[in-house]
Amino acid sequence: MTEAPLLPLTVDAVSVRYRDQVAVRSVSLAVPPGEVLALAGPNGSGKSSLLRAIAGLEPLSQGSVHLLGRPLASLSLRERARVVAWMPQEEAPGDNVPLLDYVRYGRFAHIPPLAPERAADVGAVAAALADADVTDFASRGMLTLSGGERQRARLARTLAQETPVLLLDEATAHLDVGHQLDLLVRIRRIARRDGRAVVIALHDLNLAARFADRVAVLSHGQLVAEGDPAAILSPELLARVWGVVAEVRRDAATGLPYLIPQLPLGLQPASVRSPRRLRVHVVAGGGTGVPYLRRLVEEGYEVSAGALPLFDSDSEAAQELGVPVAVEIPFAPLGTEARARNRVLLAAAEAIVVAPFPVGPSNLANLEDLHEFSSRIPIFLIEAPSGASLEFAGGRATEAREQLLRDGAVRVADLPNLLATLAARRGTSKGPVPDGPSQR
Amino acid sequence: MRTVTTSLNPDGGPVAPALRRSRRWVVLAILLVGLALLVVFSTTVGALTGSRVIPWTTVLWIVGYHLTGGLLPSAPCPPSLSGMTCTIQTEIVWGARFPPLLLAVLVGAALGISGGALQGVFRNPLVDPYLLGLSTGAAVGAAILFTFNLAPAQQATVLPLLAFGGGLIPGTVVYLAAGGRARSVETLLLTGVALNFLFSAVLDALLLYNPTSGVQVNFWLLGGLSDATWDRDAIVFGVLLVAGTLIALHGRSLNVLQLGRDVAESVGVDARRTTRRVILLSTVLTAVAVAFTGVIGFVGLVSPHVVRRMVGSDYRIVLPISGLFGAGFLVLAWDLAQSVVPSVVIPVGIPTAFAGAPFFLYLLYRRQGLTGSGTSGT
Repeated sequence: MTEAPLLPLTVDAVSVRYRDQVAVRSVSLAVPPGEVLALAGPNGSGKSSLLRAIAGLEPLSQGSVHLLGRPLASLSLRERARVVAWMPQEEAPGDNVPLLDYVRYGRFAHIPPLAPERAADVGAVAAALADADVTDFASRGMLTLSGGERQRARLARTLAQETPVLLLDEATAHLDVGHQLDLLVRIRRIARRDGRAVVIALHDLNLAARFADRVAVLSHGQLVAEGDPAAILSPELLARVWGVVAEVRRDAATGLPYLIPQLPLGLQPASVRSPRRLRVHVVAGGGTGVPYLRRLVEEGYEVSAGALPLFDSDSEAAQELGVPVAVEIPFAPLGTEARARNRVLLAAAEAIVVAPFPVGPSNLANLEDLHEFSSRIPIFLIEAPSGASLEFAGGRATEAREQLLRDGAVRVADLPNLLATLAARRGTSKGPVPDGPSQR
Repeated sequence: MRTVTTSLNPDGGPVAPALRRSRRWVVLAILLVGLALLVVFSTTVGALTGSRVIPWTTVLWIVGYHLTGGLLPSAPCPPSLSGMTCTIQTEIVWGARFPPLLLAVLVGAALGISGGALQGVFRNPLVDPYLLGLSTGAAVGAAILFTFNLAPAQQATVLPLLAFGGGLIPGTVVYLAAGGRARSVETLLLTGVALNFLFSAVLDALLLYNPTSGVQVNFWLLGGLSDATWDRDAIVFGVLLVAGTLIALHGRSLNVLQLGRDVAESVGVDARRTTRRVILLSTVLTAVAVAFTGVIGFVGLVSPHVVRRMVGSDYRIVLPISGLFGAGFLVLAWDLAQSVVPSVVIPVGIPTAFAGAPFFLYLLYRRQGLTGSGTSGT
């Protein structure tokens, strides 16, 4: 594990236990100089506990932490404070000391007891003030500062420690968007310039993806994913770790991923859910589903879609319309996770619409998976425009369609006909049914 | 606010902080000299106060002679005085009036310092040196003596010893409790409060056993400086010098500790050790004071507050100044206690509260919500 023993920070199989509860389970990480590692994970996933453990504030129940190759346990309190600085999520308000004095506290371990400040200390404080952009407030009392100013003052205090390792726990909590960006940009710049290793716990995955070189995702104290944000942030990960259905898009300019979460099913605003509406699931692909999704939403149906590849025009449209969608990464065959999520959406539907989409080996499962629902849920197969072939799976797509028709699926000519058929169904459906999460 | 603009130095260097600091030192120096003068002045007033009228020139002569070891006035008394009168007046001024005054200075300083330090450790402005059960513990010690009428011949020695011992117990328990890794300051504070109640019950039980001792215990508790002797002054001085200095050396740690134990440790402050040491030192310091003077309220609570309002919250400065303020405060109160009713000495705890409480309230309400804003010197 310690193949590069002089990394600023290596964490080897660290576990942290509070009485009978395990907060961190066997987490291993290594952070090279100049890198910003974002620690992501839902509340209670162990981010803070891990940071506290690295800072030496929580005993390790297992594993070891090395700072610049030296075991954490071998460092005295003062030595430790010269190697690792920690900025907590919350902090006692303290007294109304001038910001300058507050930042000086960060020099505690650098000044021997009873010795006066040296030029190096004064310089470090001045640099920290400048880096955190609080020089202008240096003489103001801490309690007179705004939340954003105070947060920067706290950053300055940790910077003044001049440590090769910086631990920032929810550094952007309580900050508005502008201040969040500002703080993160500063932190990244300082990390690069000074070659400091930064570990920052972040709730906001979009910020994590944008500002971190790497993201490590914790769930129930375990490391479940680690690496380049573009590679690891997937709808699957979000669903698995946060229990959130979200779409991952790519920023056109930077190519960085960003996430658009959806309200959990059943928690959507009342205006969206009620009055009682028919739930329609659209199976599509290659952009064929766009008109169907759009019209169905406009007509007031509760629409879901899937399973679709990410960045497919159908899934983009679904996203824009706020339609829950089961997604798969692009150009890959539908995986078990995407299919499982699609089946959840299918099971909740009261009507299934199969758009005239081209079927190949990679999305054949979309048709085949319908079979198990055909006895319970009415299926509407939209006919292909005349002359167009939808078969790219060597006959298996046609076979699956025939099977559905034998099961009782209804052939519908086009979109207007579909809407008419559905409207008729809605009229005859047996009165309002209480719409609740139990149905999901 | 004006200092904000001056702190913008184009070179980015720390010029402005230095500027600001020099201004702070001027304020501090003025305060320091002012308080020292107050102590000297009220001590002089105290030396002049008494049932027997002695001219102030004589008083100064005698004091000067003894303070300089017979250097400045080379004779013990002004030449106009006869040998007999000289002996009597020397005895009155230097033997009777001075020891209580000096004790007032020392005890006031002890209470001011330990009050400030404990408020810092517990991060709670309501803490005073007696809150941890110290006064009740000392009272139990005294009550044991009075109730069982122990060692009537050596009472002058045994009483302070018992009171000191009794006063140490609760503080020591809290000190030991502070050794626990996860103990919060709130827990420690409540431990002290609980001990206070416990010792209260013991005290009541003792007084019930021998009701006549109640009056003695109460009078002793009220606090007095009249029993002062040079020996006692020397003891308090010695303890104050050692414990007070050691406490004051924790100023930098106490500053950081205000941000909570975790932040303090992350910056390199051993929060637990600081907490324990300050509790122990303050307990010893206060217990010595209580042993010789009983419980003198208000000084330990108010001095740090007033000082913080004047100099800000830097404990390196607050602690010594608070000691100085406490000294001045208690000497003034002692002057007052002697002069309000001629030939009757009121327990000094009464004027401290009588004069101190309104002054404190005035300070509190004069600039509401601006605690410690004086630091920047604006």
